[in-house]
Amino acid sequence: MNARERFEAVVNHRDPDRVPVDLGRHVGSLHRLSYARLAEKLSDPDLKNHDKILDRMVQNVFPDEKLLRKFNVDFRWLVPNWVGVHEVEGEDAYRDMWGIKWTHMLDSYSVVDSPLKDVAIDDLDGYAWPDPYDSEMFSGLREQAKHWYENTDFVIVADSIKGGLLTKALQIRGYEPFFSDLAQDVSYAEALLDKLLWLYKEMWSQYLKEVGPYVQMVYFTDDIGAQNSMMISPDIFRTLLKPRLKELIDHIKGQADVKFMYHTDGSVVPVIGDIIEMGVDILNPIQTSALGMDTYAMKEAYGDRLCFHGAIDVQQMLPFSTPEEVRYDVAKRIYDLGRGGGYILSPCHNIGSDVSPENILALFDAAQELGRYPLQLDTVLKPVDLNPVIAPPEEKPVAKKRPRRRP
Amino acid sequence: MSDRKDEILDGLYDHAIEGEAEPVVALTNEGLELGMEPTAILFYALIPAMEEVGRLFEEGTYFVPEMMVAAKAMQGAMHILQPLIAASGIEPVGRFVMGTVKGDIHDIGKNLCDIMLEGVGFEVIDLGVNVAPEAFVEALREHQPHALGMSAFLTTTMGMFKVNIELIGQAGLRDVALIYVGGAPVTQEYCKQVGADGYAPNASALVRDLKARMGISSAEGGKQERKE
Repeated sequence: MNARERFEAVVNHRDPDRVPVDLGRHVGSLHRLSYARLAEKLSDPDLKNHDKILDRMVQNVFPDEKLLRKFNVDFRWLVPNWVGVHEVEGEDAYRDMWGIKWTHMLDSYSVVDSPLKDVAIDDLDGYAWPDPYDSEMFSGLREQAKHWYENTDFVIVADSIKGGLLTKALQIRGYEPFFSDLAQDVSYAEALLDKLLWLYKEMWSQYLKEVGPYVQMVYFTDDIGAQNSMMISPDIFRTLLKPRLKELIDHIKGQADVKFMYHTDGSVVPVIGDIIEMGVDILNPIQTSALGMDTYAMKEAYGDRLCFHGAIDVQQMLPFSTPEEVRYDVAKRIYDLGRGGGYILSPCHNIGSDVSPENILALFDAAQELGRYPLQLDTVLKPVDLNPVIAPPEEKPVAKKRPRRRP
Repeated sequence: MSDRKDEILDGLYDHAIEGEAEPVVALTNEGLELGMEPTAILFYALIPAMEEVGRLFEEGTYFVPEMMVAAKAMQGAMHILQPLIAASGIEPVGRFVMGTVKGDIHDIGKNLCDIMLEGVGFEVIDLGVNVAPEAFVEALREHQPHALGMSAFLTTTMGMFKVNIELIGQAGLRDVALIYVGGAPVTQEYCKQVGADGYAPNASALVRDLKARMGISSAEGGKQERKE
């Protein structure tokens, strides 16, 4: 099987020849420091791209084509150009095309100013929104896509226009103000989300005019999960975000024959059914270190309708494991998620500066060694992981009446 | 107690849980005008409300947005009550120094902890975000708090816990305060590993753990019992 055939099998829930492997998108590449250490470990003087930054905010790199081939990466990512960025004078900081200010902290950039924090609902239209028709944003991508399409058999993916609906709303309005809007001023939240939705739809139209005929998958990044629960309630997700995300997915799928991959970090188990209903084909990144993100249980519950991408944890597993433990975790994720296809193996986020080159190599070596179909992991996994016990879903009344009186 | 005073306490409790800041401030002011004790407003309405909010968060009914507006509403009342309580000579139940570690500017979780701690009677000294290790040491020396809390949101910044704790040790201040660590990637195991005293997954868990360790669960509880 070539990469595109492998992808085709996996997304149609059939066994491929091996688990497809992914690396190199804006939330799934290597931090420049870990990339440099890996290059040193490989002692390959020709490994390039040390300074070719993919995403300025997280300081990751476009990995060298040579490395992608070494790791047998099946995907090649088209990344929209960063446009409308303004440097902030006298600081290591910039404003992005949305007007959000980012300042350098340690080894990445963090939001320090949200331009809509004091903007009233009636003044939203008058804000200096990015121009969705700025042709610079996607220039060069058609040529790249066409080249890959005609000369390789890699799966070609349109990377996300950075930021999603909830994430962008939180960044541009400010985390506390927008959380307050969600809890109490729904009309503001709706007005802002509608504005963002319109912009994304227009941008995706431009994007797909350029690359639509060549891509097999598109990626949309948002975050609705937190470490131990969802970031927002399932109710708010269902009423404010789900219909808008469905509209965006329909819009995109109406313009190109693509699979849609939706990204959310964190714990999102309560709304996976809703995510499927929105039209999502592939869920990324399956943050296994977040509460309840049990890969075996998710595959059992949703594996016939949803594919999984990621699941190799960068928060707890990769930084704090030995190479042997990394290999074991890879085996577990392939076993849990890969039965009958439906799984694309990838680090669940960027490989940070705290991950050793030994663990990076252990990850991709194990993917090759253990990802062959038919899967033969019986001798690798412990009995407890071969026959996991799925915890019964927590019985929780939908709208539990809380004591309305003081105790 | 007159009916209106009871209504005020009930209203404060309900509106604080719902995160409705305006009525919380209005009822606080009205209660004070009617001669209610600031501590009564705190102990009989606001603290029970925050405890309920913490419970709702932990059971998965409330999420960050609901908890945040509730904490903000509480804070509005606290700004009115705190100076009055301080002026009447009532000592805080303890002092807490808080900060997000160097290289990290995430502060939502930290700010929620601040409000919950103030709500149960702590004096909170918040050093802000991106706090240098030396600033934690200096704050320990200057304020001699009962507890120090450090927050980190990223695996790459939580390494600062160990750096800070070592520096605090070198300054001979390790025994001044209980040291708590928290933030998304932090675990109980990691807390142990860096030599901290406590870890809490959320604000109400922090308050509960700290009160238990300091043996201060009885003060406001006793008052509530008398009330009932």
